[in-house]
Amino acid sequence: MRGRPMLYTRYESDQALLNTGTKKVMMGLFIVLLVLIPFGVVPGLTFLSQPDWMRLLSTVCIFAVGALGLNILTGLAGQVSLGHAFFMGLGAYTAAWFGVEPGPLSGLGLPMWVWLPLAGLVPAIVGVLIGPVAVRVRGLYLAFVTLGLVFIGEYIFRNWVYATGGPDSGRTFPSLEWKIWKEETPLVDFQSDGVWFGVEIIEEAKTYFLMLLLLVIFVLLAKNIQRTRVGRAFQSIRDRDIAAEIMGVNEVQYKLVAFGLSSFYAGIAGALLATFIGRTIPERWNLFLSVQFIAIILIGGAGVVSGVILGSVFVTVLPRLVQDFSSWLADYVSEGEGAFVWLADLFISTGSGDFGLVNTLPGVGPGLSVFQFNQVLYGLLIILFLIFEPLGLYGIWLRIRNYWKGWPFTY
Amino acid sequence: MTTVVERPEAPGAATGYPTIASLIRDRAGVKPDVVAMREKDFGIWQEITWGELWDTILNAAHGLLALGVEKGDRISIHSEDRPEWVILDVATVAVRGISVGLYPTNPAAEVEYLLSDSGSVVHLAEDQEQADKVMEVVDSLTALKKVIHVEPRGFRRWRDDERFLFWDEFIELGKEHRAANPGAVDKIMSEATEEDVMTLVYTSGTTGPPKGAMLTNSNVSFCLDILVNDPKRVGGDKPVSEDDIILTYLPLCHVAERIFSTWTLAAAGPTLNFAESIDTVQLNLREIQPTIFFAVPRIWERIHAGVLIRLSDATFFKKMLAKPSMAAAQFIGRERVKNGGNFTVASRLLYLIFNVLFFRSLKERIGLRRCRYAASGAAPIAPEVLEFFLGLGVSVYELYGMTENVAVATTNYPGRAKLGTVGEPYIEGSLRIDEDTGEIQTKHGGVFKGYWNKPERTAETFTDDGWLKTGDVGEWVDGTHVKIVDRMKDIIITSGGKNISPSEIENSLKTSPFIKEAMVIGDGRKFLSALIAIEFDTVGDWATRKGIPYTTYRDLSEKPQVIELVQKEVNKTNERFARVENVRKFAMIPKELDHEDGELTATQKLKRSAMSDLFGDLIEDMYRS
Repeated sequence: MRGRPMLYTRYESDQALLNTGTKKVMMGLFIVLLVLIPFGVVPGLTFLSQPDWMRLLSTVCIFAVGALGLNILTGLAGQVSLGHAFFMGLGAYTAAWFGVEPGPLSGLGLPMWVWLPLAGLVPAIVGVLIGPVAVRVRGLYLAFVTLGLVFIGEYIFRNWVYATGGPDSGRTFPSLEWKIWKEETPLVDFQSDGVWFGVEIIEEAKTYFLMLLLLVIFVLLAKNIQRTRVGRAFQSIRDRDIAAEIMGVNEVQYKLVAFGLSSFYAGIAGALLATFIGRTIPERWNLFLSVQFIAIILIGGAGVVSGVILGSVFVTVLPRLVQDFSSWLADYVSEGEGAFVWLADLFISTGSGDFGLVNTLPGVGPGLSVFQFNQVLYGLLIILFLIFEPLGLYGIWLRIRNYWKGWPFTY
Repeated sequence: MTTVVERPEAPGAATGYPTIASLIRDRAGVKPDVVAMREKDFGIWQEITWGELWDTILNAAHGLLALGVEKGDRISIHSEDRPEWVILDVATVAVRGISVGLYPTNPAAEVEYLLSDSGSVVHLAEDQEQADKVMEVVDSLTALKKVIHVEPRGFRRWRDDERFLFWDEFIELGKEHRAANPGAVDKIMSEATEEDVMTLVYTSGTTGPPKGAMLTNSNVSFCLDILVNDPKRVGGDKPVSEDDIILTYLPLCHVAERIFSTWTLAAAGPTLNFAESIDTVQLNLREIQPTIFFAVPRIWERIHAGVLIRLSDATFFKKMLAKPSMAAAQFIGRERVKNGGNFTVASRLLYLIFNVLFFRSLKERIGLRRCRYAASGAAPIAPEVLEFFLGLGVSVYELYGMTENVAVATTNYPGRAKLGTVGEPYIEGSLRIDEDTGEIQTKHGGVFKGYWNKPERTAETFTDDGWLKTGDVGEWVDGTHVKIVDRMKDIIITSGGKNISPSEIENSLKTSPFIKEAMVIGDGRKFLSALIAIEFDTVGDWATRKGIPYTTYRDLSEKPQVIELVQKEVNKTNERFARVENVRKFAMIPKELDHEDGELTATQKLKRSAMSDLFGDLIEDMYRS
């Protein structure tokens, strides 16, 4: 019925992802915007078409896929996990095992359509196998169990040199190209400049499109998990496990499913991240990576897909912004003019004798490096969000939306 | 009598007097795939098309034939509003039976009275609750053959009881009968006459036991011509049509909802939407956003109070905007009142600004944004409330009628409305005010045939020259509009000999969001007093905010702070009236009034005599010192 957005005559329209005309239009425009960004034709966003920003956006997509996985486990099913990095690593090395040309290290040289799904499936199976241990504990104890997983994983990765290349040199990963089998020239090569549909396109933009497409697929999957029986079961376990069991939700079974799904996402994200970066050492899959994902879902908004994407953008782009801001400040300080130099100087350390919070010249003088400062920032943000806005960035959005939705009342 | 009822041509349409059944059949023949009804069930609005509707009605009609229902037999319906109500009602008309509606709140004793008085042969008890009531008194109901139930739950203990029939089985029975006797219902429909009684509408009975008013097919036709198909009555020169959307939520056994829902459906083909329950009306309104909306004053008052309360709870910025907006609404309302309901230039301009800023979203929230015609009737409403809605741009027109004249007496027309009156007579010369008593009397094609089995009561209702006595005292305003003073028997004559209409004072009291019911007393007394019942929700809310602890309704009512609050509201009302009409004392009613306890009628009207008996000591206390 026109003009009656709350009148639902079918469950399909009630449950539709885009249940109003406005949402459909806005989502359509947003997707067009995302597609146009690499061509540098969006006013005000032309800088995003630069290769370094394109790489950053691809990273956002990859992190979003991984965070969607953690969101299923932590946001929906309420099981805190610090083991996400381990499953990502597992996915990355599975991809390497199946995708890389045979050589001194493991490798079967199979095409992407084989190694990418396997990079998800193998961690999923491992996740379900480890699951029974994990589902026996909850809360803080589960966090510790999964923390152990990260360290065990790191140990194995470091020592299983045949698969991982060891801590010294690391190893290469399959390249991002679409082959039917093992032919010489791939159908689509995502890692070299070329022409698509008559338009010149740089390799970073190609990778971005691939990652964007995969993200869209995984977002739809996550959305559908969330609004179906399985997702509702997860949420009931999160809200009160005993009540969920009384309602007939098989707690152990659904927790295992949550672990499996989460590990699947993690594996895919790990494989994508490794292939995107190219050469990686086993230490990459450490606790800090897990914490980054926790930060994403807590800052973005646990349990909400759009929140997770917001969080991925935030956590991935933040270091870059801090970096840019710090160097700008450093220049500002070194010029020595302006009313706020003293303030900037407190923040920036410009030399061995200068005290400041952040040091833009690594190794010279005191102060935190930009990387360390970012870590502090993540921690700070997690604490602040947990205290003041438990629903994260999404919660802020929700607040704004409800303010206008409730107009002219407050409730 | 001339009746011009729009009748789309349909193949095989049999002749016979047009009834609501034949109207629905004809429309279903033309537009079988258009949605006729929606009912909210399991969270979504399930749709019923005209084709499905008529098919089910036909099956139900055959089902009635299979149960041995004959011409003139009474079929009673005891249910909340739902499609089955309408289906059985129309099916009854199709087989030339007489439908009898019961209020869902009717207790067992009243069910016994209504069923035995009407001599119902088939009874529909919606669910276990209503079935319990009829089974309690079933032994005295000799005429009753079958009880149909719509909800299957809770009927296990009567599983083998031959008297019960589940709705689905009833429809199955009808299907079998239809296959065996094709065209049987059509044949009966073709024999329908204008004098057929199609329904008994029981008056709510503020005095004495309810009486069943007999309404005939010709009464219905008359009513539909006047109320539904007149393009002047509803705004925009467009009568009710298939594009209109109606929310059905008041009891269908009341003549007003029956006209606005079932009969309008048959005559004009809008979409009926059944609200889940009376408690969810506000939410359902928001979902449905009806284009035509009829409500009793109680509902209008509740929406009004809800808006005021929620605005006072808004955050700072919203409150800042609410103040000028409500002031603007008041100004616009007053301007429109002065102008017969039309906008003046100034009020139109102001309205355009505040509509965008405020009114539009407010109306969306209360579900009246798409409403092109709204009406209030069935009881007197306070002018302040109407003014408020006029100011928001929801044109609410007060109208007046009663069961005995199929609700056709007077109405306010868009553009020439007068606040405080119930409008103009529909037809010139169909209404008069008795010069001696001031009683309003009507005479037209809609006047009923009489009370069921009560010829002496029927005779009492008519004057010697055949006019229907409404029992309401009225007066002419400007020679065109009618103002209702009060029910004839409710008028108070104080010991000082002053005539006072209590309902005006009561309505003014009830505009306060804190007062739910008020009864003004003073017949033969030195001064006026009132019994006042608080609105538990809003007063409770107020008390919580003030940090006043309370437990029950009674406890809250008797808090000194609450009495002080009510006193302030009473003072506000007193300022509006002359000194003799001031309420000098009041007492708080210590319980929530209820139909089952006999304080209210099924339509939530006060039973004054019962109230005087129940709370006699409270009243005497006020006059003692």
